[in-house]
Amino acid sequence: MKRTSLGLALGLGFLALAAAGAGAALAAAAQPAPRLLYSESQAAEGARVYGMRCAMCHGRQLEGTLETPALTGKFVANWAGRPVGDLYDYLGRAMPQFAPGSLPPEEDAKVIAYILKANGYRPGGAPLPADSAALGRIDLPAPGAP
Amino acid sequence: MSDAYSSGRPSSPGRDGMALLGRRTMLKGGSGAALLAGLQACAPAPAALVSAPPPTPREPGKRPLLHPMRGTLDQLIDVKCCIRPLRAAGPNLAAEIIGNALVVHNYGHGGSGWSLSWGSAEVAVGKALSVLPREIAVVGCGIIGLTTAVVAQRAGLRVTIYARDMIQRSRSFRASGSFTPDSRVALTEPAGPAFGDLWETMARLSWKTFRTYLGLPGNPVEFHDSYGLSDTPIEKRHYPPDPAITDSYATKGVPVQNSEFMHLSDRIKDIVPQAVDVPAEENPFALPYAQRSSQMHFNFASYAHTLLSEFFAGGGRFVNRDFHSPAEYGQLAEKVVINCTGYAARDLWRDRTIIPVRGQTGWLVPQPDANYGVRYKNVSMLSKGDGVVVQNNNPDIGEMLGVGDSMELPDRSGIEEGLRIMAPALVLKGA
Repeated sequence: MKRTSLGLALGLGFLALAAAGAGAALAAAAQPAPRLLYSESQAAEGARVYGMRCAMCHGRQLEGTLETPALTGKFVANWAGRPVGDLYDYLGRAMPQFAPGSLPPEEDAKVIAYILKANGYRPGGAPLPADSAALGRIDLPAPGAP
Repeated sequence: MSDAYSSGRPSSPGRDGMALLGRRTMLKGGSGAALLAGLQACAPAPAALVSAPPPTPREPGKRPLLHPMRGTLDQLIDVKCCIRPLRAAGPNLAAEIIGNALVVHNYGHGGSGWSLSWGSAEVAVGKALSVLPREIAVVGCGIIGLTTAVVAQRAGLRVTIYARDMIQRSRSFRASGSFTPDSRVALTEPAGPAFGDLWETMARLSWKTFRTYLGLPGNPVEFHDSYGLSDTPIEKRHYPPDPAITDSYATKGVPVQNSEFMHLSDRIKDIVPQAVDVPAEENPFALPYAQRSSQMHFNFASYAHTLLSEFFAGGGRFVNRDFHSPAEYGQLAEKVVINCTGYAARDLWRDRTIIPVRGQTGWLVPQPDANYGVRYKNVSMLSKGDGVVVQNNNPDIGEMLGVGDSMELPDRSGIEEGLRIMAPALVLKGA
């Protein structure tokens, strides 16, 4: 199944970045963040859901704690290069940890939109679909990819 | 009293340093410094530094002279919460093929992960050795993963640990750290009678291995007296089955009453110290009834440092990595993998037989002078190297406390309540 990165060859950019070494990585980090399939309004709704269901563990600024993972930095490195669908499925079955799978699929998508925005990904216009198969065809690029 | 107490106190490096500092204040000038250097050169430093604190001296018919333990809120420096991975059938030690890799599981030890770590690692590494590997991967770096890695090295294997965090950020570090080898480790019916023999093998091997860490620098493993206190005569608690409850793990997928839990500690009571009644004239506490036992515990910081040092000195490699599916195990360079992912296996391996059991500990500033533990009305305090650990096991529902609860946020109010409950038990006789 072909995966796309929504209008931009972001997956290729990520690979190029990985191959080019630290100097190129620094240069790429200064470039505009990549665009991804979510909307501003979806991210704003996601922020509301996040505040109610996620922030108590992961922190208001997604900063995490010594025990709870932050949702920035290493988090992006962990999921970059993988289908967004993997992250969507993970949220759907494992989060929030105190009540796994309790969020409706639309709210999972909203929370992901908010996390993407918080990590510097620019909105792509249309909302992120609450559809595992569709998201499985979208790779999450590195934040600094061109 | 203070002299008698002083003679029995542990000789910690910190205390020795402070004593020297006091002498330094008195010894002014160059001659004093030279004298100090002479004193240091003559001091039996190695023995003082590496010895475990001696037990508080006990004489028949006399009260041991204990240092008061402070249980006040101003001492509270941390509240930690973690989830015990209970599997009704006991830990998963099965093996399976993923891709072209042999994966040996070693997870799901309930509240007994620390206590069974060496024995469980022995079983898992033994299975891994059956295919004659020269190198293996260990996934997870909690107490089970790190111990498994060290056991594999001792068996002559090259080992790489893949984990998202080192042990200091794992759930293992949020445990209480006492030797409790049958704490929520299995349910009687689903585990079956054969599990008892396996458990005993693991528990005895672990106990003997922990003993090899006694007295090492930093005291990674220690014994302290632990006192059970009461306003009324102390009787052992029993939880007989409630005939009014017809549901069970078999119908609900979680235990519904205490009698379903497997209790195995009697099998090793020949080596593990048991509680004894303390005669009134030997009871150092103001409360009228006391029992005493010798409790083995683990000092997390020191123990982790010791194990990691052995792992890296043995050529071990640590790779920071998060796994998203079991298939990724098959893509590792190592073709034998031991899976030590604890509660995380519930999602990663879709093991829905893992039942979350929430636990919480509060931590007070370390009190090395008060080198003992106290239990009273389901609250416990134990003085460890890395702090005084407080547990409030109320409400009094035994091992059912926390079952099915995967909320991992600390709740400070529970520790505050525990300290309030414990306050009268900390009063020493004659204080």
